Amino acid sequence: MLPQSHLSVVTRNITWAGPGEWTTEPQEVGWAREAIFFIRALKPPRWPEGPLEAQVQVSPDGIHWADLGREMRLPAREGEMTFLPVRHFGGWLRLAVTLPAEAEITVLVSLHLKA
Amino acid sequence: MTPELSRFDPLRRILCFDDFDRGFCGWAQHQGNYEGSLDTVLPGYAQMQAPMLSTLPNWDFGSHGGIDGTYVLKIQTLPQPGARSSAVKRLTFREAGPVRLEFYFTFKPEATEAKLSETDVRAFGLLFDLQSGDATPNGERVMPHLRFLNARDGEHVQKWQFKRAVEQASTISAKTATHDHMADSGWEDLPGGAQRLCYNEIATKVNWHYGRVDLDLREMRVMGFRINDRVHDMRGFAEMRMPAWRNLWCMLNILFFVETDVAKRAWCAIDSVCISAE
Repeated sequence: MLPQSHLSVVTRNITWAGPGEWTTEPQEVGWAREAIFFIRALKPPRWPEGPLEAQVQVSPDGIHWADLGREMRLPAREGEMTFLPVRHFGGWLRLAVTLPAEAEITVLVSLHLKA
Repeated sequence: MTPELSRFDPLRRILCFDDFDRGFCGWAQHQGNYEGSLDTVLPGYAQMQAPMLSTLPNWDFGSHGGIDGTYVLKIQTLPQPGARSSAVKRLTFREAGPVRLEFYFTFKPEATEAKLSETDVRAFGLLFDLQSGDATPNGERVMPHLRFLNARDGEHVQKWQFKRAVEQASTISAKTATHDHMADSGWEDLPGGAQRLCYNEIATKVNWHYGRVDLDLREMRVMGFRINDRVHDMRGFAEMRMPAWRNLWCMLNILFFVETDVAKRAWCAIDSVCISAE
């Protein structure tokens, strides 16, 4: 059988605005051996202190989360897309970002998974 | 017949046998209609989340697994009261005749609390989105909807409902329209449709239920509906019906959906689907 390959769009046209923490919805990905996160800015972002980084987080159950130690820069301008390959992530993945006041970005986050 | 198929009662020709140990099998995230920008998607669709291949993992005893094999299809909502998610399989039909949908399903809230939580999931449901062929006189779009209203406002309701009320359609452009047909309004009780399903005793254990719906595409009607040992009387059922839409000829779409009643994610899981026809 050919290897599995799947694209999940995990955040669709959602605006992350500061101050506060934003996360993507929990994605169960235990069947996959590798993943790439893509983030595309759908509208002009506001970065008072420059583009921030999102943390890749892992979880045993989709409820309790810990930083994997991998960061991913968020797009600096409308239409820009950033990406981050991830391996050895266990069963669940999500992104988390803490935005300061006045920061704002509208994103399309997708996760390409392969096994 | 293989062991995997022997738990179904298919009609003569099997159109699809979706065992999620082989991947998503064409069950996709439901995307609301839009033009120009995703900003034009109705809120009821914008909230919908991507389905997952799941082992049904739990914090207390690990992966639950499926009826057989490792993976099932999991559809999960946002953690907001009234949030809804669905997955869709998009087909067309060749013969306007009998079609049978069979599936095994379960549902639960996200186990964020160490209590039974049996009234957290508002509803599990399924629907068909059908349209007659382009050469059929007076073509119709017909959308049979069924949902198990599990709970509302803390009451464990447990009854099957249907929806014939047509939600107001919004025009997105000259070529595209949209309507939130799964909305939590306009549902009617299926006569005799109260049914208590096995929920089990804690928030993490699940049991699989068998479901079957029989369609007649010639009449565009639901002819039969069975859940586990109960064959429901469908004489009081009615389909959502409307004049044909411009781009949907011979459509045979099947959707499963789940809705939460509280600020906690709800999910449903499907372990194998068999669609068959004469």
